[in-house]
Amino acid sequence: MSALARILIVEDDPNDLELTLSALSDYNLANEVVIARDGQEALDYLYCRGEFSARTTRNPAVLLLDLKLPKVTGLEVLQQIKSDERLKMIPVVVLTSSHEEKDMIRSYSLGVNAYVVKPVDFHEFVNAVKELGVFWAVINEPPPGSVKK
Amino acid sequence: MTQTSLPRGASFHLLWIVTAVLAIAIFVADTITPLEINFATLYVVVVLLAARFCQPRGVWGVTVGCFFLAVLSFFLTPPEVALSVGTANTLISMTAIGLTAYISTGLRWTEEKLVEARADEEEVRRLNQEIAKRAAELEAANKELEAFSYSVSHDLRAPLRHVVGFSELLQKQASSSLDDQSQRYIRTIVESAKRMGDLIDDLLAFSRIGRAETKKAAVDLQKLVKEVVAEIGQETKGRDIVWKIGALPVCNGDPALLRLVVVNLVSNAVKFTRMRKPAEIEIGCVNRNENETEVFVKDNGAGFDMQYVDKLFGVFQRLHLREQFEGTGIGLATVQRIVHRHGGTVRAEGAVDHGATFYFSLPKSPHATERTANTS
Repeated sequence: MSALARILIVEDDPNDLELTLSALSDYNLANEVVIARDGQEALDYLYCRGEFSARTTRNPAVLLLDLKLPKVTGLEVLQQIKSDERLKMIPVVVLTSSHEEKDMIRSYSLGVNAYVVKPVDFHEFVNAVKELGVFWAVINEPPPGSVKK
Repeated sequence: MTQTSLPRGASFHLLWIVTAVLAIAIFVADTITPLEINFATLYVVVVLLAARFCQPRGVWGVTVGCFFLAVLSFFLTPPEVALSVGTANTLISMTAIGLTAYISTGLRWTEEKLVEARADEEEVRRLNQEIAKRAAELEAANKELEAFSYSVSHDLRAPLRHVVGFSELLQKQASSSLDDQSQRYIRTIVESAKRMGDLIDDLLAFSRIGRAETKKAAVDLQKLVKEVVAEIGQETKGRDIVWKIGALPVCNGDPALLRLVVVNLVSNAVKFTRMRKPAEIEIGCVNRNENETEVFVKDNGAGFDMQYVDKLFGVFQRLHLREQFEGTGIGLATVQRIVHRHGGTVRAEGAVDHGATFYFSLPKSPHATERTANTS
């Protein structure tokens, strides 16, 4: 697992994860990825605790966050990030299967930077992930203190 | 229920025996003593006692009895005083008895009304509790439904994407080693999974319509239809469609939902006239009565057999093969649900190969006439 990662993916579903990584690999972005399998692990990474206690303190350039996660849910992770002075600048993109309006409202009111519904269509899904990866990890200028190219 | 406050049982019997004995005692005393002592006034005690165990009518009965006894003893008593004094005494007693009866029955009446009011209040409280309980049950059922559709939207989508995703990855990776048959199998897997995705999406959207709160506003149907036709017209370039849009009123309803109704009906008309040159689509309205207006969308397309008209508005009901006309079969069910939520009705007429006409009725806006005059 790379210590210097521009993209932190928080995803519990191994199949979605594989499809996401396969999409990112088309743009050689797969190596820039660090993976957390639940909300707890994501927070451990961001706070450099547990198995991530040895990593450098730089923040990822973007966090792709699923909402339905074991232990700590995506919304709880989002709330924690946006209420912490050191983390609130990290761009967070919710990448979820949920079309539900209440999830969108809750995410935006917590300060999410983008909300993307995982397309059912595989091609659309691949395109969405690619575009997200390129935009947030390459085109977008990340906040100071993030991992740079 | 007026007797709830009356004493019952032994004390009841005791009361009327005491009353009767007292009345007789007063009568005897009044009759055998000279008129200087006005015993008849004591009948008020009899009336008061009667008021404790009788209905107002009974109390007045006892009062009349007392009058009678007072007058009787007046005639039976030897005339030791002047006739005028005797008469005056009797009249005074009768007045006292009458007033007592009047006041005591009035008191009883008030008391009964109070008891009644208290019972009514109790009933209202009970009904309120019942309503609160029902509301809580409904809310719980609604929450459950919401949780259900949430879980459908989240949990059912993911495996579907995996079916499509990995099928396509397989196709990409093994396309050179797969024969045509196997390639077709993979394509079918992908298409079916996509179709299931569409069905889930439609079903969710449909259930959301049932739960969403409807906003009420004046909706200019004429403007709405023109917008929708312009929008759909963009997608039908190259097709020969003759549009006829009649005058349409202003209706009361939820603008977004009514737009959905029009979009569904108009795109249906466009879809089912695909093989016509030119296709004719007419949108107009008929005034059913003062409060209701009926809008129709008429086409000269594929039509349908009237014997299946009841199935038209069912969820996922289709009257044509998927190869002929695409779609999941949720459109008309959506139309029906929205129109019903607006207090209107839907109906359809058609014949195979002779087009179809869909009608929906809506309550008119109270200011409909002026608004139409302004906009047209």
